[in-house]
Amino acid sequence: MSDNPQHSDQTHFGFKQVDKNNKASMVADVFHSVAAKYDVMNDLMSMGIHRVWKRFTIDCSGARQGHKVLDLAGGTGDLTAKFSRIVGDKGQVILADINDSMLKVGRDKLRDRGVVGNVEYVQANAEALPFEDNTFDIITIAFGLRNVTDKDKALASMYRVLKPGGRLLVLEFSKPTNDMLSKAYDMYSFHVLPKMGQLVANDGGSYQYLAESIRMHPDQDTLKSMMETVGFEQVTYHNLTGGIVALHRGFKF
Amino acid sequence: MPTPQLISALVETSINGVLALDAKSHERLKGLSGKRLWVHVRELPWPLTFCFSQRIDVLVDSDIEALSETPLPADCCLSLSLTTLPLLQDSSQITKLIKQDKLELMGDIHVAQGFSQLLSELNIDLEEKLSSLVGDVGARLTFQRLGAVKTAVTKKAHYIKTIIRDGAIEEKHIVASPIAIAHFCDEVNMLRSDVERLEAKLSLLEHQVNPSTDD
Repeated sequence: MSDNPQHSDQTHFGFKQVDKNNKASMVADVFHSVAAKYDVMNDLMSMGIHRVWKRFTIDCSGARQGHKVLDLAGGTGDLTAKFSRIVGDKGQVILADINDSMLKVGRDKLRDRGVVGNVEYVQANAEALPFEDNTFDIITIAFGLRNVTDKDKALASMYRVLKPGGRLLVLEFSKPTNDMLSKAYDMYSFHVLPKMGQLVANDGGSYQYLAESIRMHPDQDTLKSMMETVGFEQVTYHNLTGGIVALHRGFKF
Repeated sequence: MPTPQLISALVETSINGVLALDAKSHERLKGLSGKRLWVHVRELPWPLTFCFSQRIDVLVDSDIEALSETPLPADCCLSLSLTTLPLLQDSSQITKLIKQDKLELMGDIHVAQGFSQLLSELNIDLEEKLSSLVGDVGARLTFQRLGAVKTAVTKKAHYIKTIIRDGAIEEKHIVASPIAIAHFCDEVNMLRSDVERLEAKLSLLEHQVNPSTDD
């Protein structure tokens, strides 16, 4: 799947073409709208499987005591909570999200659960990360990259702030590897998801965007080559649940 | 679906769920806080890493060869069989297990023993936990009935065992009684002694008939 719209003044917002300058605010509106029900909807939509995908991401991260981790587009902080315990007092986790509503929900949730001390919250745009070069041992971006306007710029920014030897993990919806699964998944995404969103979050439109944005996101091999283009090495990906989701991993040396 | 992650999620949820039932377990867990225990159970294809903090996180490590790594992937690394796992509670057995190749150990054994102790010292008052859901009377009655059922089942099991034993020994004669087995063993021992004496006599006679065979 090509990401060519990024090289013009237009980009995609779901299946629509919109001005590049407007996409960030349109995506922001979607997440302002769904923030409060985000966790409930994630569990409902994925039937809880998103927790297993996130566990797999953490297992592939190689996180250790003392590591500095950036959980980009970290939303409601599922990964941050676990990383916080793994890296311990000597380590640090930064939960970054461009959307302040998501960040507030994440911060409240983690503080209520006693996840404090080594976690910081930063409102940041993935395309221009406000951190010094070579800062992080691990960067994760789970279900966030597809919402970024200029993905190449965001990947380059992540590469810049990653320490040599560090790794980037991109967990994102991808292309199912089986035709039957793909058709069933399409039916579920375009017919069931928006109705579920309307019923639970009173916002069918945002979940229509979710389904469309997944189809517009680069497939496994395209994303792999995008990561390699900005400098990541030893880039590999694992298909999860038949390719509905893929975890890409790349290193900076 | 990543099976290892499903299993690690199950293990993690079970352990933390059980620990949450014992209010004092959090105090004992503090002693392990910040430590990591890497366990390769030989029956499983992937090692598990237990990370201790205010709770226990279980990670799946894809690298089985981690024991040869420097530095080690955890404060304590164990590679052992499921059958060896319970034996670790007795620290005097550890050297013996290592010599028998039943246990590979690197790092601080106190982390593994601390974890084992954490689980073995769990003191869970299930009746109290149940009383918060169904009230004191409901919990008391439930546990009284469960106790009565347990006693009845134990009695019945003992009765059935006795019937089967008596039937097999006394009526059908398909199994020997314990006294008959002891008597048989005694007779075998006596026979063995007789044979040994006979061997010794034969050897003596052989020596008397042909004294040069010893040289």
